Order: sequence, then C-alpha cells, then structure tokens
Amino acid sequence: MNSIGGQASEQPASVVSRLWSIRLDKASLIQGIAAVAVVIFAVSTPGFLSATSIRSLLTTVSFVGCVAVGMTFITLSGNIMSFSIGASMSATTIVFMVSVVLGLVPALILAFLFCAALNGIQGWLIGVFRANPLIISMAAYSMIIGSAIYITGGRGVYPLTNKANILTANIGPLPGPLAAFLFVAIVGQLILSFTRFGRNIYLVGANPRAAKASGLEPWRTVLWAYVAAGLCTAVSAVLVAARYRSGDMEHGIGYEYHAISAVLVGGTAIQGGAGSVIRTLVGTVFIALMQGLLILRGFGIEMQYLLIGLIVLAAVMLQWKGRT
Amino acid sequence: MTGYLRAFFANRTARPFAVLVLIVIVLGIGDDGHGRVLTTSTAYDVLQQFATIGPVALALGLSMMVGEFDLSVGGILSLAGCVAVMAGSGSPAAGLLLAVTVGALGGLLQGTIMTWLNLSSIGVTLGGLLTFGGLSYFLTGNTTIGYDRLDVALGVNAPLLGIFSARSLTAIILFLVATFVVSWTRFGRDLLAVGSDRRAATIVGIRVDRILIAVFVISGLLTAIGGGLLSYGLAAASPTALADTLVPGAAAAILGGVSLSGGKGRPIGIAGGVLVLSMLHSGLTAIGVPPFAHWIVTAAVLFTVGILDGEELSRRVYSFRRAVGQRPDTPPPSASSILVRQQADH
Repeated sequence: MNSIGGQASEQPASVVSRLWSIRLDKASLIQGIAAVAVVIFAVSTPGFLSATSIRSLLTTVSFVGCVAVGMTFITLSGNIMSFSIGASMSATTIVFMVSVVLGLVPALILAFLFCAALNGIQGWLIGVFRANPLIISMAAYSMIIGSAIYITGGRGVYPLTNKANILTANIGPLPGPLAAFLFVAIVGQLILSFTRFGRNIYLVGANPRAAKASGLEPWRTVLWAYVAAGLCTAVSAVLVAARYRSGDMEHGIGYEYHAISAVLVGGTAIQGGAGSVIRTLVGTVFIALMQGLLILRGFGIEMQYLLIGLIVLAAVMLQWKGRT
Repeated sequence: MTGYLRAFFANRTARPFAVLVLIVIVLGIGDDGHGRVLTTSTAYDVLQQFATIGPVALALGLSMMVGEFDLSVGGILSLAGCVAVMAGSGSPAAGLLLAVTVGALGGLLQGTIMTWLNLSSIGVTLGGLLTFGGLSYFLTGNTTIGYDRLDVALGVNAPLLGIFSARSLTAIILFLVATFVVSWTRFGRDLLAVGSDRRAATIVGIRVDRILIAVFVISGLLTAIGGGLLSYGLAAASPTALADTLVPGAAAAILGGVSLSGGKGRPIGIAGGVLVLSMLHSGLTAIGVPPFAHWIVTAAVLFTVGILDGEELSRRVYSFRRAVGQRPDTPPPSASSILVRQQADH
C-alpha cells in the first residue's frame, strides 16, 4: 500500500486496512504510544472511571464528533477544511427550532435538507470552478452570519414545545448523542470503505488530475463530499438544539476548529487522499480524554486550549514526508 | 484611449482603486445629499478600519504572494494584543517590542517547521493558530485584561491632522515599507520568483527555504504590530476579541489582486483592497445601513474573487456557451487537456 490514496492502489486492500487506512510507519507508532499513554494516565486519575464522568464526557464529545466526521469527508476530498461548518451548524439549529412547531419529523427533514444544501452549494462551487475551498468557505461563513443577523436580529430562538425532547433520550445504556455519533461514524466509514463514492473521494483527494484523466468528474465527488459533511453537521445541530432547547448562532462557534483538530489528531492527511473516519473517531476521543483529564486534575479551560493547539501542531508535524 | 483603459483594468493592482472610486460614487448617491460620506470623520473612520485590517491583510497577502497561506494571523493577533497589554503598563514601547518579538518568533517557529519537515503551510499554521490562540487564553487566564494606561489608549487613536491617528499612520508606514521592499529590493524580487515558480527559483539559485522563513517572520511581525496597537487602542486584551480578522484580512488581500496560487499582487494593491473594505464598512454605517450589510458585502467579494480565480472557470464558461448554442472559436486550454497532451508527448 503506498503512502497516499491506499484505496486507489491496484491490489484489493484487506478489510482492516480499508477501514483504518493505516500505514505502519513511525507516525502511526507515535500516535499509538500517545493513545496508550493517555489511557493509562486517565485510568490512574482518581474519579475518571466513575460512570457519570465518562457519560458526560462521551455526551459532550459526540456533538463535536459528528461535525468532525463531516469534516473528514471534506479533508479527504482534498479541500483542507471548511470555515463555515460551525456557522452552518448554528444556522441549522435555528431552522430546526423554528420548524419544530410543525412536528418533529418535518423539522428534522427541513434541518437536514437545509444543512446539506448550505454545504452542497459550497461543494458545487468548489468542485465545478476548482475555486479555493478556504476562500469559498470564508465567503459562506460571512454570508451565513450576515443573513442570520438580518433574519433573527442576532437573537436566539426558544420555542415553547416539547416535541424535540425525544432527541435527548438515552438509547439503552448509551446516551442518545453518543449513539448518534457512533451511528454517523460507522455509516461514514462504511461509505468511505465500501462504496464507489468513497473510493472516488480518496482518488480525487490524492490526485484530482489523475482522477479526471481516468474519466471521473471530480466535481461530482466534491459536491457529494460536502453534502455528506452537511448531513453529519445536521445530526450534531439537531442534537445540540434539542439539548439546549434553543436555536442560536452561538451554538456552533468554534466547531470548525474543534472538528479539524479531531481530524488532524486522528492522522488524516491535511492535503487529502489519506485517512479515515475511524481515525477521526480516535482523534475525537483522544482530545476529549485529554480535556477530561485536565479538568479532573484541576486545570482550567485555558490549559485545554493551549494543549489542544500543541497536540494539533504535533499531529501535523507527524505528517512529514521527508525531503523531496 | 481604450488601450489605456484596457491596460488599467488588466492591472490587478489598479483594480481595487477603480472599485474604490466606484464605491465612493455609489455611496455618494446612496447618501442622497445629506453630506454624510465625504467628511473628515468618515475619512478618519476609514483609516481606523484600515489600521485594524491592514497589517493582517498585508501579512496574509505576503504569505499568499509566496504561494503559501498563513492561517495563524488570527492567533498571533490575539497573542500579541495580550502580551502588549500585560507587559506594557510600565513602558508601552517595551510592551509593543515584546509583542512584536513574540510575533516574529512565532513566524520563525512555523517557517522553520514548514521548511525543515517539508510540510504544507496550511497544516502548520492551523496548528499555529490553535497554539497561539491557546497561549493567549493561557496568559490571560481566559479573562479580559484591562490596560491601565488610558493616556496611551487615547493617544494611539487621537486624530492627527484631522483624519490620521498614530495607529493608522503606523499601518500606512508598514505598507510603504512593504511596497519598497517588494518592488525595489532583491528580497522582494526573490519572493515573487518563489511564489510564481518555486522550481525555477531553486534552479536559478534562490534559497527558497530562507525566503519562506523570512516571509513567515515578517507576517508574524506585521500581525503583532497591528494586534499590539489595536489592543492598546481598545485599552483591553482578551483572547476572543480579535478572532474575526482572518476573513476580512483574506478578503482584502485577494480583492487587492493577490493570487491564491502565488507570484501575483503588490502591497499597494492590498492597501487598495483594505481601503475598499474599510470604505464599505464606514460608508454603509455612515448612511445608516445596518451592520449585517458588511458581512454580506464581504461574502460577495469573497465569492466573486474566489470563483473568478477558480482554475476551471474558463473551461466551464466555454462549455456553457457551447451548450446555449454560441460557438466560441477556440477552446481555452484546460488543465486536463494540457496534462493529456504532455502524456501524449512522452
């Protein structure tokens, strides 16, 4: 398996390597050691293994996790990251909470359509014109913020209804958001590993010109990668809206940075074409474990921000390919 | 006459100034004879905006001219603001000096990592953005730190000669120095050469790594000057306050004619781009348009330039015109057709 675009290699890859997109190199080894060290450190921290602390940790991580799975599609398709994904999540919480008076199902459909369209339009522009994904997503960010201020006047939406409460329920022993996150991650990984669309994402991300020369239309793949990202983000949006019983532009602030942090810490390549959703899942949980540890050991939120920054920087440095 | 006009509009650096004139005219019409646009107070406002966005846009623009993208400007802006306010209560100059040193060191660190490990600037500066942002949370303990030197806070924003202030004059001087360096020094020539064709630059003997590191040091330095003075002017530093500068900075740079693929653009053009955004912001506020409008305008600018810079735009326009029945004479060369031709040659 070569270093970029393992899925595009000629020999059929084994199921395990398809799922993990792993290369047995120094970087993976260091990531593994770091993960084991954090787990040992966590287990040895008093109070960490209590059911309530683990439950609350896994619930809060799920909101970021869904968005991070969506961001993985964008990164893998060679489009680095989206600056607008947090804003589109906030806007979706508003759409969901405004329409929830019509009933839960119509509200869910509207929220998913809205978020998929919002990101799909960006994907279309980026794919069809090969426009710079950072600039287009910054444009979308400004557009969403401006429109939201115009429409809502900068206030949140607090409907007096219990129709969305079912989304905060537990599923068996699992907190609802965690179950949703796992569902999104599993479906996302299955799509990447076992469908033609998933294979095309790796190919387009690794080398769009080669993809084009081999008869693909890269813009279709990019468009659907953004739609997939929008759908994952919508999952997070409806869960957050149900939990806080409000739709507000504040809800998604910073999610774009949390999401790309999880993607990069998991080891997905920033230039696209190599990585997986499972890696993002590991990255999300890794960051959440670090945050939980810092809280239990008495550090404030400022220490968390600093440490996440350093971890992301280290994760990016692990992607070095040697001199060309 | 038309030849001159065509040359003017083909010139990427002149374009923002043409847009600026257009905007002043439109705002003048929208003003409807109330005399709210062409006043000294609007001019002062525009220049204050210029001082806020300008250094960041210049830093981002220089990194784009060399073919990279410095996402860390947002983090360095916050960090420099916090350092300046915390260290500058005794001597403001010492505080600013420390902030600028921190900014330059941040750039040096990122540039070194990038060239040493052969990594993309976007990944490294994304890590830098989060690290420097986190560092400013850490330094301030996640609170807003007030600046006890009100004389300095008033001083940097006090009007000079009617429309200027110490802050905006500093930004203007930074742009003049950058213009001189890019257009008339060997470093500037090398910078543009690295941006337009890195391999050719290496072959003719330019030390590409050194140029890249220098650009990121300069980027950190410029951002830190802007962030330090901005926080002095606000008389406060907080890790979150300055977060929304990356988007207008990028918008101003690409509006000013900087190409995302590198090698194109001049500091004067970037200054024009910043002036366009500042004029829009201040002018729309002056004629009473609510504040959401400047977000929409920024979005429109970014969408337009982003699509116009798209690699496949000409090919899409060509196939669209074919589809609607007009037959253009010669097909534009597309990236893939060149690729296929190259492969056929081998």
